[in-house]
Amino acid sequence: MQQAPPKKKKVRVPRVVNGVETMVEIEVDDVGGPSWGPNDKHTLLNHHLRRVDGPLKVSGVAEYTYDKRLSGMLHGRVLGSPHAHARVIKVDTTAAGRIPGVKAVVSITDKPVQPAAAATGVEKPAEPKGTFVHFAGEPVAAVAADTPEIAQDAIQAIKVEYEVLPHVVRADEALKETSPKVYPDGNLKPRDSQGYATRVAAAWDKCDVIIEAEYRTPIIHHASLETHGHVVDFRGGDTATVYASTQGTFTIPGDAAKELGLKESDVTAIVEHMGGGFGSKFGIGIEGQLACRLAKQAKAPVKLMLTRRDEFLLAGNRSGSWQKFKAGATKDGTLVALQALQYQLGGLSDGSQAGQPYIYRVTNSYRERFAVFTHEDSSRAMRAPGHPQASYAIECLMEDLADKLGMDPLEFRKKNLRDKVYHRQLDRGAREIGWDRRSKPAGGAAGPFKRGIGCAVGTWGGGGNNQCKVDVTISRDGSVVVAVGTQDLGTGTRTYTRAIVAEELGLQPKDIIEKIGSSALGSANASGGSTTSASLAPSVKNGAYKARIAVAEKVALLLGGVKPEEIKFADGNVSGGGKSLSWKQACAALPAAGVTAQGLWQVELSATGVHGVCFAEVEVDVETGRVRPLKMVHVQDIGLPLNRLAVESQINGGMIQSLGMALWEERVMDARLGIQLNPGFGDYKLPGTAEMPELVAIIDDDDKREAVIGVGEPAIIPSVGALANAVFNAIGIRVHDLPITPDKILMALTNRRATT
Amino acid sequence: MADDSDEGKNQSRGPHDASRRRFLKGVGIAGAGAALADQLLIEAQAQDTKPKDVRTLSGNVDVTLNVNGQRRKAKVEPRTTLLSALRDHLEPAVTGPKLVCDMGTCGACTVLLDGKSAYSCLVLAVDATARQITTVEGLGGPDAMNAVQTAFVDKDALMCGFCTPGFVTTISAYLKKNPNPSLDQVREACKGNFCRCGTYPRVFEAALAAAKSVNRES
Repeated sequence: MQQAPPKKKKVRVPRVVNGVETMVEIEVDDVGGPSWGPNDKHTLLNHHLRRVDGPLKVSGVAEYTYDKRLSGMLHGRVLGSPHAHARVIKVDTTAAGRIPGVKAVVSITDKPVQPAAAATGVEKPAEPKGTFVHFAGEPVAAVAADTPEIAQDAIQAIKVEYEVLPHVVRADEALKETSPKVYPDGNLKPRDSQGYATRVAAAWDKCDVIIEAEYRTPIIHHASLETHGHVVDFRGGDTATVYASTQGTFTIPGDAAKELGLKESDVTAIVEHMGGGFGSKFGIGIEGQLACRLAKQAKAPVKLMLTRRDEFLLAGNRSGSWQKFKAGATKDGTLVALQALQYQLGGLSDGSQAGQPYIYRVTNSYRERFAVFTHEDSSRAMRAPGHPQASYAIECLMEDLADKLGMDPLEFRKKNLRDKVYHRQLDRGAREIGWDRRSKPAGGAAGPFKRGIGCAVGTWGGGGNNQCKVDVTISRDGSVVVAVGTQDLGTGTRTYTRAIVAEELGLQPKDIIEKIGSSALGSANASGGSTTSASLAPSVKNGAYKARIAVAEKVALLLGGVKPEEIKFADGNVSGGGKSLSWKQACAALPAAGVTAQGLWQVELSATGVHGVCFAEVEVDVETGRVRPLKMVHVQDIGLPLNRLAVESQINGGMIQSLGMALWEERVMDARLGIQLNPGFGDYKLPGTAEMPELVAIIDDDDKREAVIGVGEPAIIPSVGALANAVFNAIGIRVHDLPITPDKILMALTNRRATT
Repeated sequence: MADDSDEGKNQSRGPHDASRRRFLKGVGIAGAGAALADQLLIEAQAQDTKPKDVRTLSGNVDVTLNVNGQRRKAKVEPRTTLLSALRDHLEPAVTGPKLVCDMGTCGACTVLLDGKSAYSCLVLAVDATARQITTVEGLGGPDAMNAVQTAFVDKDALMCGFCTPGFVTTISAYLKKNPNPSLDQVREACKGNFCRCGTYPRVFEAALAAAKSVNRES
């Protein structure tokens, strides 16, 4: 007999489109189930919770993929191409294979590898038959040996013959007709357009002020401290276990099974702890494919973690951007017309960039987006793909327009941002940074050390979907296990998973055991786009609620036959009908197998769409060009903050990473050789302790949504623009490309002196 | 560096110099200075089985390392770093110190040599045999954390945790020398450690809180 279709109910959920939030009504299955309740009524959630894996991580006990040592395990190494574009004529591995201790050697001339990311909708290079490399560092061969030292020797013993082909690694050169073509159609690919160019053209007359400007951001790197890599435990036979440093436990088995010639169900992925991904770690990638091939050839486990240099060269990056604007406003500060030409610089892939005018309301706007291809490693998602680039550019433009109009940039923004949440957040941030202290006019302060304050605004979607299956098991001895295959990237997944169950059952986090990081457990989504918590937390809540009801049904009789839904679970006790049992006493009433409930996603426990603003204060030494960040404030709404401590940490992290993007980080390419000049932490400048300003992370508790959203991406979006605008406010000149390094500041100051 | 006596971390000259280590580690014998290479080959028990046309700087040396108070034996090569010896050559492995940059820039591999912090990726294993090596595991376990480890957990001074053993080790050693540091001194002491998730402000908080709690107890 077929089941009757489930009852439906209507719920109102918030949706944010282009930064404007509206409530919409949607229909969902009425399955009963829990709600979060008011954000200020939680006993554990929305509090400061210590990370449950903290003690393991501070004592070196937490085992990462990089730390895995299996018996008989071999060490893998990759050999990359020194050329940006070449035909691989011959890979001679004979000498390498003869080195004692070398157990497997594979080459791409035997079988090509699939890149981790690729351009969409473009014809593949119409190159004659053969094997080609399209960026410097692209793997050509790999080895596995008894020790890392022997593996290194073997890599150096491989002889590769190349026919070097012409390359292009700079966007402005790639746009020239005479440049080598990365794809047969050329190096410029239209992506989309939006708005009406003719209306914009007709609107310039109505503007009192018009500016034209362009802003650029370079390609930057994720620089996860744990490099990409896997330990492939395959010794021949029908099954394999793959330990992976990944953001998606369930993205691994399928990829690995294909390489190993196994069924997907016979491959288990394990992600116990992982050392950062920031968008770059989905699927097994080239390095994973090579690791599988080596393990298969050697019939032994292989650990292949990329070296730091290889991590820079072949493990993805954040696409660069080049955005050209013409924009105009009336005297009262109303944006009337805006035209944007947006180039996404993603190397061999599309890159990403949010569409302009981003979150601003402009009466007439038109934008076109293009991908510009170069012979560089494909860009990948990186924390809020495309948004810091778009936010930075539009926020510089807004600041420059306000400056030309002689308006307070804060008032100018409010005038052109419809959503009142931004107004509230801007006021809050302005109070915290001391907006009134800003330099008026920009660059007006006396002396060589000039201080400036800037602000910017950002948005992100986030939100969840129906991908998580969470098993909550309560045993007769009172132990509680919550199990789901999800992964903890350092975002605190383990901690809130425990806390949600503990709160529902009236227990403490220490009373719960969480099992995560295995594809043998219930399914879970990959951690991308700030969707993990909004997908996982509702499912955990749903499972914990069902388990609680199941326990209540079993103990109702012990409590004098009260209704199960009236039984209270609090402070380690189960009570009702005037009676109270300890948790252990209550669980003793369970059947021998205990109770198990499966939690599924509930849409109304999650939401999408957030607002964030950032303010920054810097000091610029106009004699040396050095920028010293002094203070940053980020105000962020996120609905229900599951763990305030972890949320604040993530907001801090967003601000710190944006410091790198704004002031220091850049992939430096040699145009002639086509190679990266700074593939290491010695030359690629990450933010360090010495440069840290005072950081203030503010959770916007005026957001009363009783729903989980996700905060990873939003925390990095507005801060880049805020820093750039703080520098502008300090020196009164715009540096139009990131990072804002001393040489660019000195050049800008020199040029101004020359023209005035 | 706040303390110039810390080895390896200030790119010092001498036997633990980065350039020498990288030189040994990165090149085969063909590229190495002949005198130095010969000497190392004598130290190593060179293997006769090696094919004549492939010249590599291989061969094993038996070493005994004093790690967290235990004498640990391992076979390493002359070019094997202390970090690699701990992680890849000891059985069972000591994996608290992390391999991140392998060139003395990030601090994730920080260990204590005779109580002083050092980048273990810039020290050769054969040069560490006479030293007392302390890794983060030797500072305290999950159930018996030292003051710095406890403060790291309390203040949420970690996210992915990959840089954490290095920071904990650096700060634990630093607080021994300077039990009452200022915020600026803490920043200075950690200048040789990188974090990518962005935990710095809370690392500072944790260091200061740990200093306070140690001083209260003593």
